[in-house]
Amino acid sequence: MSRIGLDRPGKRLLLSGNEGIARGALEAGVQVCSGYPGNPASEVVEALLEASKEFDLYVEWSTNEMVALEVAGAAAATGLRALTAMKNLGVDVCSDFLMTVNLSGTRGGLVLVTGDDPAAHSTTTELDTRNYARLADVPLLEPSTPQEAKEMTKWAFELSEELGLLCMVRSVTRLSHSRGVVELGPLHRERRKPEFAAPPPWTSGSSTFTCMFHDMLHQKMRTAAEKFETSPFNRYEGPENPDLLLLTSGPSYTYSAEAVELLGLQDSVGILKLGTTWPLPEELLFKHLSHAGGVLFVEEIDPFLEQNVKALAAEFASRGLGPLNFYGKKSGHIPAVGELNTELVLRALSGLRGVSYSPRPPEYASRGEELVSGYVPGRSMAFCPGCPHRASFWVMKRALKWDGREAVVTGDIGCYSMGLLPTGFSVEQTLHCMGAGIGTACGFGKLERFGFDRPVVSVSGDSTFYHACIPALLNAKWNSSNLLHVVLDNSTTGMTGHQPHPGSGVTASGEPSAPIRVEDLCRGIGVEVRVCDPFEVDEATRTLQEMLKGKGPRVLVLRHPCPLTEGEKRKRRPRVHVNQEKCIGEECGCMAFCSRVLGCPANIWDYPKNKAKIDEVLCTGCGLCAKLCPAGAIVVEEGG
Amino acid sequence: MGGPLELQSKVLSSSLCTGCGACTSICPYLNAVEGRAVLLEPCGREEGRCYLFCPRTEVNLPHLERRTFGALRTDPVLGFHSSVLKARAAREEVRGRAQYGGTVSSLLLHALREGKVDSVVLTGSSDGVYPEPTAARTEEEVLRCARSRYLLSPSVGEVVRLLRKEEGGRMAFVGTPCQVLALRKIQAYEEEWEVSRVELVVGLFCTWALSHRAGEFLRTKLGGRRVRRFDIPPPPANLFVAETEDGRVELPLDEVRSFIPPSCRVCFDMTAELADLSVGMVEGEEGWNTVILRSERGRELFEEASRRGEVETAPLERERLEHLREASLMKKKRSEEERERLGARYLKEV
Repeated sequence: MSRIGLDRPGKRLLLSGNEGIARGALEAGVQVCSGYPGNPASEVVEALLEASKEFDLYVEWSTNEMVALEVAGAAAATGLRALTAMKNLGVDVCSDFLMTVNLSGTRGGLVLVTGDDPAAHSTTTELDTRNYARLADVPLLEPSTPQEAKEMTKWAFELSEELGLLCMVRSVTRLSHSRGVVELGPLHRERRKPEFAAPPPWTSGSSTFTCMFHDMLHQKMRTAAEKFETSPFNRYEGPENPDLLLLTSGPSYTYSAEAVELLGLQDSVGILKLGTTWPLPEELLFKHLSHAGGVLFVEEIDPFLEQNVKALAAEFASRGLGPLNFYGKKSGHIPAVGELNTELVLRALSGLRGVSYSPRPPEYASRGEELVSGYVPGRSMAFCPGCPHRASFWVMKRALKWDGREAVVTGDIGCYSMGLLPTGFSVEQTLHCMGAGIGTACGFGKLERFGFDRPVVSVSGDSTFYHACIPALLNAKWNSSNLLHVVLDNSTTGMTGHQPHPGSGVTASGEPSAPIRVEDLCRGIGVEVRVCDPFEVDEATRTLQEMLKGKGPRVLVLRHPCPLTEGEKRKRRPRVHVNQEKCIGEECGCMAFCSRVLGCPANIWDYPKNKAKIDEVLCTGCGLCAKLCPAGAIVVEEGG
Repeated sequence: MGGPLELQSKVLSSSLCTGCGACTSICPYLNAVEGRAVLLEPCGREEGRCYLFCPRTEVNLPHLERRTFGALRTDPVLGFHSSVLKARAAREEVRGRAQYGGTVSSLLLHALREGKVDSVVLTGSSDGVYPEPTAARTEEEVLRCARSRYLLSPSVGEVVRLLRKEEGGRMAFVGTPCQVLALRKIQAYEEEWEVSRVELVVGLFCTWALSHRAGEFLRTKLGGRRVRRFDIPPPPANLFVAETEDGRVELPLDEVRSFIPPSCRVCFDMTAELADLSVGMVEGEEGWNTVILRSERGRELFEEASRRGEVETAPLERERLEHLREASLMKKKRSEEERERLGARYLKEV
């Protein structure tokens, strides 16, 4: 039985925020779930996937977020409850559909779960998806705890169904991935029968019709606002007339509550925690602003509450709201980038209230820093031991140097984004969003007529290729752009936890599905394509060097499975060791090539002997270092 | 002295690399690519074999001569030598497979047969165009490598690889003047490897070689036909001739000459002045070689092979010797101008 499917109402479980969301969906009777893997939202889909057989759910990994929202949208249009989950940038991808399905509406509850990533731990931007709720005019809920994540998701389905409008639930990394106690509610096992009744057509219309739908959307949002005025997800705690009101949402609420308590300011500082953040509950805000001496906005990423509440305050002036001091990102009291934490809120609060606070005695703090600094070396992110991308980037580094024409290398989103870093020999020079590697390469590849004669190479992984590279490849073919696209095919969606993709031969639920090969797609549209194993370093390098000389669009697939997938992990691994008699260490002709340049975490240094050695716990036995060792000192014991 | 950064700035970036392979065959940071060395990234060392061995970094000619011959040259044009003569293979089947007279092949076969060396590092080619460094151990392997290769070849790299891996036993090496120079630098400066295992160095006369881009040009012109032998007939023919398995193809010499790399244009050495003995053509006389005997060990081997009837000898006519001296001098003069023009200071910075 799945963890989130436990049928014991009232039982308290330790669940992550993402599991809370998934459990909420089960309690709401969700029937269809879709998504594209992306941190921090992947586990919402994975948890539902685990429960799919038990609850007769249809769960799929879609090729991208746009398709995912469309899949869920269609199910909801037939009256089923459907959920789609994605990371922040996924909302960019599906925004086209979002901006029309808001107008066309829904019959069954349709919930879009977004996982924002303050501090961009595993994202290329700190995009705040709350802005999409405002942009699309859809209701937005922001849970603060795993318990709330469950409750809000469940309620989001009811609200969505009542309004006939998609509803957004916004999580952030620290909520999605932290665990908290969740009290389970009753499960909803009743299955609805899909019905698609027309007319009226399911559409956002055009011209007059669009305006009509737009007007209906505003009416729906007015209804949502009315409901939000009394929502239990909005809570005030503190004195009746606080000197300072903290206005907060999401996990920032927990930081705020802790900070107020630590400073002992419960008698003078109040906290208004908002769970329904778009549309804003105006009357509730008017009431609390009227009693406050000043306002501090505590929220992550954009000043979303800050700007929208300030706009409301201007309206409230005509109703007698006096001048108020607003503090937050604009005033500099709250950082405008990165994640928040209790300490940052403490700093803002103690400054504003004139209370001194030092979390640690200064002497203890400096002694601590001193002690730690000696033990924690600075280190760069690195590919895992045995990662085929290391071999691929070494192949690319060599082939590009051999070519000698200073190729432009555009990167893309995946583990191989680290191709920008020393672990990828700094081969890549650009990084934006899914598909932007080959997309921008299409542009670089058309500048020859203006005298730009550098070869253009774009990189993507296999999953990213299916997600976002195909239209750009078609474009390159159609417009004869001079580019060589290298697909680093590790036969899985590596960075997000090995979810299958169209090339895997299996669906999310494990059903077999004929694999769609990158090379078949390329051949189908008449693009020259070759396939190499990056661990055959010399052959792959020669192939790449040769292909660099070509014209028009070309594709090289460097295929080798990720060693962390279950199937690969079960394989017997050869033992690798260093013959230190042969190892020439830091002498001319090596200079610790394996540990210093190749940089596999399993290639370590034997300091007393000043020779290389292998960390056999980490080593996957891939043999790349043995192939490249200039002294032939690294031995792979086959069948070891 | 220097390391990879100096190698890059003084040699590689000014296209003075001869592609000999001395630096590339054992270094993970330097690759041999189409007849030239490519630095992937500097290893971080300030001094290295790459710089030390390179025939286009500082050359201390007197030091190398003293080390090789025990004395300095008295002849500034042909270098240290004891005699210059004509020779050819006594066996007709050897001559038949050779570029000119088959002297080099005969000497190598003799050295192998007599156990003077265990292997010979040569430059073969499977298509007759692209060079392939080879360590030959048998008569057939030696003869398969007979005849001249015109493209730069990383043959010194093969010697370095064998020295480093402690393979190859006692070795003979056959190479162009720049390759011989690299090999002598290795023998003079390498401290760890057993460099004395290279027992015999046979130098080949060389006026220029071709960059790898010429390979593509020749392949296209020859339409895939396998080449048996390239040759440049004496002036005024102005031709580059390819004898292929499908007949003879003549190409304008000037077109071929456009592929001469800068590294050849700065070369001062036509007759492989640091070899144990040097061998080339005899201008205007087919089927014979000019031989310059230089070191004691070169002379001994040659004389023994001659005594055993492996090679036939004849005196070199006076006008032919003059012609050889003139050609060698011309190359030195041209090289000096080019070195000045390209800022190649490898002979000055001693």
